[in-house]
Amino acid sequence: MSTIASDEVIDLSMPVSGASDAVDPIPAVSTGPTPTPPGLTQRAIRTIGRTTLALLGALIVFGILVMLRGVNPVTAYRDMVVSTFTDPAQLAGIAVRATPILLAALAVAIPARAGLINVGGEGQLIIGGVAAMGVSLAFDGRVIGPITLVVMALAGAVAGGVWAGFAGVLRLKIGIAESVTTLLLNYLALDLLYFLIYERWKDRKGSGQPATRSVLDAEKLPLIGDTRLHVGLFIALISALVIYVIFRTTSWGFTLRAVGGNAEAARRAGLPVGRTLVTSMLVGGCFAGLGGFAQLAGAEYKLRPGFLIGYGYVAFLGSWLGRHRPIHVVVSCFVLSAIAISGDSLQLDSQLPAASVNVLMALVLIGVFGFGRRSAKGAAS
Amino acid sequence: VIVEVLAGGVRGGTSILFAALGESTSERAGVVYLGTEGSMLAGALAGYAIASETGQPWLGVLAGAAAGGLLALVHAFLVLHQGANQLATGLVILFLGLGLTSLFGSNYVQALAPTFAPWEVPLLGDIPVVGEILFRQDPLVYLSYACVPIAFWVIHRSRWGVLLRAAGERSEVLEATGHPVRRIQYLAVVTAGVLAGLGGVHLSTAYTKAWFENMAQGRGFVAVAVVMFAARHPFKVAAGSYLFGAALALSPALQARGYGINQFALDAVPYAVTLLVLIVLGRRRRAEVPEGLSKVFEASPA
Repeated sequence: MSTIASDEVIDLSMPVSGASDAVDPIPAVSTGPTPTPPGLTQRAIRTIGRTTLALLGALIVFGILVMLRGVNPVTAYRDMVVSTFTDPAQLAGIAVRATPILLAALAVAIPARAGLINVGGEGQLIIGGVAAMGVSLAFDGRVIGPITLVVMALAGAVAGGVWAGFAGVLRLKIGIAESVTTLLLNYLALDLLYFLIYERWKDRKGSGQPATRSVLDAEKLPLIGDTRLHVGLFIALISALVIYVIFRTTSWGFTLRAVGGNAEAARRAGLPVGRTLVTSMLVGGCFAGLGGFAQLAGAEYKLRPGFLIGYGYVAFLGSWLGRHRPIHVVVSCFVLSAIAISGDSLQLDSQLPAASVNVLMALVLIGVFGFGRRSAKGAAS
Repeated sequence: VIVEVLAGGVRGGTSILFAALGESTSERAGVVYLGTEGSMLAGALAGYAIASETGQPWLGVLAGAAAGGLLALVHAFLVLHQGANQLATGLVILFLGLGLTSLFGSNYVQALAPTFAPWEVPLLGDIPVVGEILFRQDPLVYLSYACVPIAFWVIHRSRWGVLLRAAGERSEVLEATGHPVRRIQYLAVVTAGVLAGLGGVHLSTAYTKAWFENMAQGRGFVAVAVVMFAARHPFKVAAGSYLFGAALALSPALQARGYGINQFALDAVPYAVTLLVLIVLGRRRRAEVPEGLSKVFEASPA
């Protein structure tokens, strides 16, 4: 079988003679040089047009809201752009923030290919960070740094994978919706984190704040240059690329989409549907766990209250914004991260609460989800 | 200790109860509303702000309910009209509520507002134990008591409830018989928002008696979990809300008496119980999920 050329849903119940047919909604009958259907590019232009309109609408509405608070929206936007995109520290901040978000978004995108909804990025991120910290505490400097770092990464990935895979198993064996269990598992992960940092792992020599000790210097991910950027960014980007390749070229990637397209047809075609569902959650969770590790070893260095809170939900939205396509997801995660970072400017330059920027993020998402791709959504449902 | 914990459970569980009752209504109609938390925040701020500006706490209640309902209306429009994904849209609404309330709430962080004081029900409040737990609360708690049987009656006994549940189970049938499915679902989702808004008002004007950013602190999500725990049944929802509320109230009460129990181990209990209930009841529970709803939760059959 050739490589899969499109991102369209594969439905094995449709008569498919070759994977390339999936590109075209109507299987080509004539073998002659058929003119390319005008629909594709036209549709792309229309989608881009709608998205631009949606973004403009979001900016206008947010501008009006800002004006209601007595702030000149033009100045506010100018300050946001200037201080977010010209300050190297802020630019680095965007990338640092996007790192765990991107990894957790991949944890949404992979199961989504198989038709599963993973709302548990939040818990999987946290549990990854907890596992990595656990390794650091257990080794306690007795093992040389690089090895510890690798073990921490592995522990984070495995923990995240198990956390998500558990939901996958429950789905397969008992039939509980994975969107429900992953959501519940988020709270359990959060309570576990708090239990550990308030009690078991609390730094006795610290300032009395509920937090663990920092990871040792040798266990920190290398920084890039003089910035806050850390190697975790490359881990995230490479992960996205690997997933992209896996989706396109491997049989597992094909199976994922076949299962997501029409599970019954995939089963009759002899594909291991159940196993694919569980492994997609497992593999996805691994990436989110890795994200927790990267945040711990690259940015925060210790577990504290508020560790990665809210990142998982943003990641969920990032994956949906990018329609679960790895490269698109990279872009959307950076966009969401940039919007979040620009909240700093609102606070400093316009004296509005930093969290106000959530309005802008929500408006952009409403614009894209609700208005940007109506035709595509209509066709899917 | 037990009385104190239970009374605290009722007090703390009330905001969750309001929101969870609303969520049940909406899920019965086949729409999941993950934006509950956003509606609670909107209700909390609107209620507190209006109470503060007008000096009338009951006007605050109305404003809070309206604010919560308005956010839910956005959700309903995007989901029912524009065909957006319910779970993703719900989260977007959550962020919208979070952002809007921090944008417009900063003026009210230190503001004073008339709040609801506990009011003892004559006679009933004198009953030992039960009276102390149930009948020495604030008026909004009593309102929530009323909401539970009303919700039960509406969902399970009224004509409207039949339509509501039909919209969640087999919307095609309802449509074929000439009923306005979409209008019913709109109404259900907005009800969810209104009730979540009431929950928010209770939080700000009766429970904490203050407004601060992100004050719902996950209670909206807890409400969603309660609804899963209770299988969308109003009386079970009430029990679940108080269970979660009591878990929140238990640890401070115990710690005040020197019992060294970690609060977070306790906080985890309700979630673990919910998960266990789901696992044990597994397939049986699954049959109870409205059919239209399971399409949302399960994109593909396994």
